[in-house]
Parts: sequence; structure tokens; C-alpha cells
Amino acid sequence: MAEMLLSFRDVRAGYGAGIVLDAITFDLPENGSLALLGRNGVGKSTLILTIMGMTQIGRGRIVWRGRDITTDAPHRRARAGIGWVAQEREIFSALTVEENLTVAARPGRWDLKSVYDLFPRLAERRRNFGNQLSGGEQQMLAIARALMTNPALLLLDEPLEGLAPIVVEELAAAIRRMTGEGANAFILVEQHADIALSLTQSALVIERGRIVHSGASAALLADHAALDRLVGLRLAEA
Amino acid sequence: MPPVFGVLFDGIAYGMLLFLMSVGLSVTLGMMNFVNLAHCSFAMLGGYVTVTLMNALGWPFFATLPVAFIAGAVASIVLERLFFRRFYNSNELNQCLLTIGIVFVSIAAAAYIYGTDQQPMQLPPYLQGSIHFRGLDLAVYRLFLIAAAALITIVLVVTLEWTRFGAQVRAAVNNQRMARGLGIDVDTLFGFTFALGGGLAGLGGALAIAMLGLDPSFALTYLIYVLIVVSVGGLGSIAGSFAAAMLLGVADMAGEYYIPALSSVLIYLVMLVMIMWRPSGLFGRR
Ligand SMILES: Nc1ncnc2c1ncn2[C@@H]1O[C@H](COP(=O)(O)OP(=O)(O)O)[C@@H](O)[C@H]1O
Ligand SMILES: [Mg+2]
Repeated sequence: MAEMLLSFRDVRAGYGAGIVLDAITFDLPENGSLALLGRNGVGKSTLILTIMGMTQIGRGRIVWRGRDITTDAPHRRARAGIGWVAQEREIFSALTVEENLTVAARPGRWDLKSVYDLFPRLAERRRNFGNQLSGGEQQMLAIARALMTNPALLLLDEPLEGLAPIVVEELAAAIRRMTGEGANAFILVEQHADIALSLTQSALVIERGRIVHSGASAALLADHAALDRLVGLRLAEA
Repeated sequence: MPPVFGVLFDGIAYGMLLFLMSVGLSVTLGMMNFVNLAHCSFAMLGGYVTVTLMNALGWPFFATLPVAFIAGAVASIVLERLFFRRFYNSNELNQCLLTIGIVFVSIAAAAYIYGTDQQPMQLPPYLQGSIHFRGLDLAVYRLFLIAAAALITIVLVVTLEWTRFGAQVRAAVNNQRMARGLGIDVDTLFGFTFALGGGLAGLGGALAIAMLGLDPSFALTYLIYVLIVVSVGGLGSIAGSFAAAMLLGVADMAGEYYIPALSSVLIYLVMLVMIMWRPSGLFGRR
């Protein structure tokens, strides 16, 4: 078996004493990609937060490139190469766009020039403060800010949520471009299951805190009945 | 000299002292939500370090200032590692009880070592007296205070607004969880910030002796003023703390000069009005 980038082994996690996730086991190879699907409130964001070390772990192990990081602090995980794009975006409103990008940047192929190439609108807004941006711009900034840390694994938590259709297309294209190069692994949480599946190699479906389906994205995308049953997908809408 | 200018001048000098003594608390409170009522004890420590070095060891005034800064910084970092760190996730009542306890310990320790009298302090000759400028009579020491605090403020603002360290501090004040999630070591950053704030308080305390005097009640008396500055200025805002400190300094001096009977209540009235007008502070961001 090739060395895995990230492995979960029977992980139970939640907030305080409350358990949200249980028996979570999966592997993600270097440069791999994973779609994380499931209805609202099943624990997708909690899984992302658990990768970041921001939940309480009840049992199980999290392994990063062969090293157990189950008890590592969040900033250590980030420095080890995990880039987090939070569902709520969480832009630093007291920092300018450019400061948001540079505040935690680490050297690598993503720098100001390349993220501005990816999101030209951020270059126009570089001197604006974080709270002066539209929803779409905030999302671009959240993604660009994570890229600036040059992660080996990028976590994207519903990056298209709540955006106007035209912005969704623009962002989906950018994500496609950024991930198409295959230079880093990524996990994509997305309500638009068709978009998520078309962008990724494999998929996990979660229901009430447990994995109920795990397989290749292409196979799931082709199986409309399974999709409908697992995520109540509204493919027709998209 | 027309009284209004004199009052303004004294008020600004006083405000500069209040700013030095409170800015650290504003930043650390904004960053960690930790209520450190012992902040003025660091200022008092700086004051006692300076009088001790001058009176007992004959050090020149200026040479004592860096030591007062270091004493405040070291004391704050030691307390942070020993006690405060354990209370970050505790509620505010526990934090208040812990730190007010430290205030009383510091007052008792100062009274035990130095007695309860005002400490005598002889400024160097070139900082005494006053100069005459266009009919104004300006005390040299207060001029020096204003210049020194203005310089420190500029250095502080440049550090916080223009460096990566400053951007990381602002990011951590803004959203601590996201800062950690991007790889910023918020605990270490906070340790530095805490030491810097304690150091500035120590320096402020040393500079304050010649204008405000120094006795063991200092840690409590000026705590009130520092808390007003922080609440009026808004958490984590340097500009807000600066404006609030100036406002409070001038209001306090003006109250003492024009309506002495009301002077002890006036600052509370100012605070009340400001907080009702701007609940999150002058430049508050939340
Ligand atoms: N900070 C929190 N504290 C306690 N419970 C939470 C917290 N965040 C989410 N939850 C609970 O965890 C469950 C899963 O939430 P979440 O992971 O956000 O779902 P999803 O991202 O799949 O919509 C929900 O029942 C939610 O109420
Ligand atoms: Mg979610």
C-alpha cells in the first residue's frame, strides 16, 4: 500500500461530551481527492473540524503521512500542510484582503501573484478590508488564504454555498483549475453533489455521523438511484 | 497662561500616561478575552523598580526606564505562565477573582517592603522646571512625557499595522480559531503580546511617578482609569485606547480645575455617556 497522506481509523468525535461522528475510517492518498456528501447536519463540517483538531476525540486515530496527529494542536496541523477553508469563510474583517492572504502564508508555489491570477477580483480589492467584500469575494479570499499556506491537503467546506449562480460558476471553474493540476490533495464538502463528484476521485457519504457509502466518485455520479437515496440529490436543479 | 491651554496640556500628558498603562490590557483582553485586573500592578512594579534603582543605587532616571519595562514584561509573562494560562477558558468571574487577588497581594507586598508613604523621587535637573513659549508656561517633564509617549505610540502602531507580527496579533484578536487553523501559534503570540503590554505598563508606571506619585494604592487607583480607557476605547483597538486615554486625561484635569466639587464623579459621567453612545467602544470592532 502506498503511503497515505491522511488516514482516519475508527474515529469518534464531537463537541464536549456530545458525540457527533462515530466509527469514521477512510484513507486519502497524496494528491488524492475526496467528496464529502450528506444532508444538512449529518456531521460533514464536524469531520473537517476534526481533521483540523478543533473537536474532542473520543476514540480512534488520525494519521498524517505516517505520523499520529490525533492530539496535535490545530496550528501544528496547519503547519504540517493542512489548509482549511471554513464553511462560514471567517475572513479577518480587521485585516485588508492582502493582509488576510499574507498573515499566515508559507513559501511554495502559491504566492500573491499566483492567487491573484486565480482570482483577479481579489487583486482589485487588495486594499479593502475583509468586511467590505461580497459573499463571493469572501469565498475567493477564504480559498486564496488557505492556498497561500501551500497546503498538501486543502479542506473546502461548502465553498459554493449561498452564492449567486453566476458566482457559483466562476468559483467552480476556479476550483476546477486549481485542483485540476493535481498538485495537492483536497477534500470537498458540497451540496451540489454533481459538481463535487465530477471534481473528485472518491466519495464518502455520511448519515447521522456515520459513513454509509464509500466508493469512486464516477461510479456514484452514474448511479442516480443510489445518489437519490443517499443524499436526496436534486440533480435536475443543478 | 490661559487656563484652557494649561488644562489641555496637563490633560494630554496625563492621557499619555493612561494610554501607556492601558494599551497592553486592551490588546490582551481583545485577543484572549482574559480579564487581567492586575495590569496596573505591573505599572506599580515599574514605578518601584525605578525609585529603588534611583534612590538606593543612585542610577540615573533614564537608565532605570528600560529596567522598569523589563520588570513589567517579566512579571507579566511569569504570571501568565503560572496562573493566567489556566483560566483562559474559565468564566470572567473566576478571572476577576484571580487577578484582583493578585492586585491585593501586590499592594500588600509593596506596603510591606516600602511602607505606605509616597515614594520620594528626584527628577534630573534638565527635566525639572518649565519653559515659556508664546506666553504659555509648559512643564518640561510633561513635555517630555508627551513626546516619549507619542514616540512609543508611533512605534506601536507601526508594529501592529505594518508588520506580519502585528497582522497576526490583529488576526488572533479578530478570530482566534481561524488564526490557529491557518497555523498561527496563538499561545506564543499571546505570550509576546502579554509581555509587551506588561512592559509598557511598567514603563508607564515609572514615567508616572513624577506626575501621579507612587504608593501601594497605585495598583487599584489607576486600575479604574485603565478599565475606563479599555471599555471606552474598545477591545483590541490601539487608536480607540489612545483617543479614550486622551479624553479621560483631559476630562479629569478639566474637572479638577473647573468643578473641583464634581471632579471625582466627572470621569464616571464621561464613561457612562461614552458607553451609552458607543457600546462597543470608540473604535470598537465588535
Ligand atoms: N460547535 C458545536 N457544538 C455543539 N454541537 C455542534 C457544533 N457544531 C455542530 N454541532 C452539531 O453537530 C451536528 C453536525 O453538524 P455539522 O458537522 O455542522 O453538519 P454538516 O456540516 O454536515 O451540516 C449537528 O447536529 C450540529 O447541531
Ligand atoms: Mg457544514
